[in-house]
Amino acid sequence: MGISHEDALESLHLIHDTATKTRRAVAAGYAGNLLILWGSVWFAAFVGVHLAPHRAGLVWSVLDGLGVIGTVLVCRKWPIRSSMMGSRLSPAARRMIVFWLALFAYATLWVVLLRPANGMLLGTFLVTVAMLGYVVIGLWSGSSFLVWLGLIVTGLALCGYCLIPAYLNLWMALTGGGALLGTGLYVRIRWR
Amino acid sequence: MARFDSIIHQPVRLQVMSSLVSLDLGEQVEFTYLRRLLRVTDGNLGAHLVKLEEAGYVRIDKTFVDRKPRTYVSATGKGRDAFAGHVAALNEILQGAAEPTQPAKARSEEAGP
Repeated sequence: MGISHEDALESLHLIHDTATKTRRAVAAGYAGNLLILWGSVWFAAFVGVHLAPHRAGLVWSVLDGLGVIGTVLVCRKWPIRSSMMGSRLSPAARRMIVFWLALFAYATLWVVLLRPANGMLLGTFLVTVAMLGYVVIGLWSGSSFLVWLGLIVTGLALCGYCLIPAYLNLWMALTGGGALLGTGLYVRIRWR
Repeated sequence: MARFDSIIHQPVRLQVMSSLVSLDLGEQVEFTYLRRLLRVTDGNLGAHLVKLEEAGYVRIDKTFVDRKPRTYVSATGKGRDAFAGHVAALNEILQGAAEPTQPAKARSEEAGP
């Protein structure tokens, strides 16, 4: 079969475009939905804690619980699975879950050992830990977008803690929750 | 090894293989998701997948998830190797290092040891 230089070039472009489209569609469907979900959880939780600071533990427990249930539902609807050992989760999804569990265990350990003096310090610490997770996943998957998102939200959380502690929860609802929600929508719309 | 593959070279099959190979080894994608991604019809995608399956390049698994039928598609090891060889052959053609009218294997056999 004879093919021309132009045909070969066109085929290589098609391969590159399709591979990029696939990786982006995977990210849009997976990361996009999870960013929207957790952005909504953060927004609602920080606003809830601002309105009822004495019930911060209850607000976060209920909304985090809903977030975990939502995450399981997003993963169940995921159209990519592993063919190995009959597992429905892909190797990448399994690695992701183990990573978040390890990070959560690390944060819990240090919260128990250090016993933060106030809720604001605890909230800021947990936000920075979660954003460290975004930075690591960004570095892992080669997504500078996630790295920058993690760094910017971390910076905003620290600014809020240092500069406007009285309005920290509202600040985090807008910057933390808003950033996750906004970027999730951006990923869903632009990378489809 | 660079090897032009006429089965893979057809545009829809080229897109199918590009998409499947960009997933991790062992990952399968749902048929309907792949159809939407590549913007092809059920029949068109199905026919091209049969060709690729006959060549041993893809594996098709039909199963039930929550009592609904689902079809999953993945690239086999042979398919990944053939795709890599095809991409290498295309690159060789671009670089002018290969004779575009014959597969690399045939050329190396003619050249001898």
